[in-house]
Amino acid sequence: MELENLKYIWYSLEVPRPDRDSGELVALLRRRSRGPVASMIRNLAGEAIALIIAYVPAILCFLLDFKGRLAAVSWLFLVLLAVFLAYYYRKYRLLREMQCPACQVRSNLSRQVATLKKYTGFYLLAGTLTIPVTYLIAYFIIRWRPGPAGSAFYYRLHPVAWWASPAFILVLLVPLTIGMYYANAWCIHKLYGRHIKKLQDLLFEMDAE
Amino acid sequence: MLFKVCRLYCTAEADRQDLFQEIVVQLWRSYPAFRGDSTTGTWLYRIALNTAITGLRKRKRAIALASTDPDRLPAGLEDIPYNMEKEEQLKLLYSAISQLTEVEKALTMLYLEDKSYQEMEDILGISQNNLRVKMNRIKEKLRKSTQAFAYGIGKS
Repeated sequence: MELENLKYIWYSLEVPRPDRDSGELVALLRRRSRGPVASMIRNLAGEAIALIIAYVPAILCFLLDFKGRLAAVSWLFLVLLAVFLAYYYRKYRLLREMQCPACQVRSNLSRQVATLKKYTGFYLLAGTLTIPVTYLIAYFIIRWRPGPAGSAFYYRLHPVAWWASPAFILVLLVPLTIGMYYANAWCIHKLYGRHIKKLQDLLFEMDAE
Repeated sequence: MLFKVCRLYCTAEADRQDLFQEIVVQLWRSYPAFRGDSTTGTWLYRIALNTAITGLRKRKRAIALASTDPDRLPAGLEDIPYNMEKEEQLKLLYSAISQLTEVEKALTMLYLEDKSYQEMEDILGISQNNLRVKMNRIKEKLRKSTQAFAYGIGKS
């Protein structure tokens, strides 16, 4: 059977289509998109909202309670929240850049591969550094900004135990950072590895003669 | 045209509806940025094919099933009012197309829609020489697989 001979059948193919009025189309547009990028954006927004809900009460609690003696902890949470929100915003921007449905199929694919690689690279870097950096920020805020001298919080940190010395903390952070790197690399591969491979295979197929 | 793309890329009705919705959403979102640099037809095909090719993560299983089972034809095909010979040919065509890769399906669709190589290049971004080579391979592949299906169906 020749493909050429099938053109006339294809042309006369009447696909049974439901009659859609404008109301149905509006309903269709309002339905949740199940595209991968739309799902990723939704997940990201969900994570950001959950983070805000978790952090804001803690920030307010440490700021207003304990007679202001634990305000340093509140500042720590605020800094962390700002860092996380910047992180989510960057990811959101990358996701928005990922798609160009009106572009040529090949350029859309290469754009997706490039942006997704940037996205996962950022994910890996941020995911690896988040915990060690958080740890260090927490350490410095609490250790060097302990509140007014004489406060209970200040005395609790003095004298510094051997396990709370900067050298020990730094030694502890090295294996932790390495562990975080491999855990994130595994997670990224699990979440995006197959999709990136599929896009790369499609690109390779398009370019191959 | 949108229905044909959905039919070509998805076998299950639910998947077809999802893909149709996704294409409509993408058309709606992309329309404000449409400046008429390409024809409306080219723009439509680009959006439909881009969405079908890159938005198929959840539908992979359905496609994999279709590609290994020539009897798994798009639902509703039997409802199309054709004479037996045409219907048989169409079934064979869909069975054969389900064996193709996503890029090959796009090429076949454009070929069946009688698009020129220039138009295909505008939509897909593949050079015309490369398109010709690929098209010849696809024709050969389809010829072989339709023969195999016809032979297989005849034997059983």
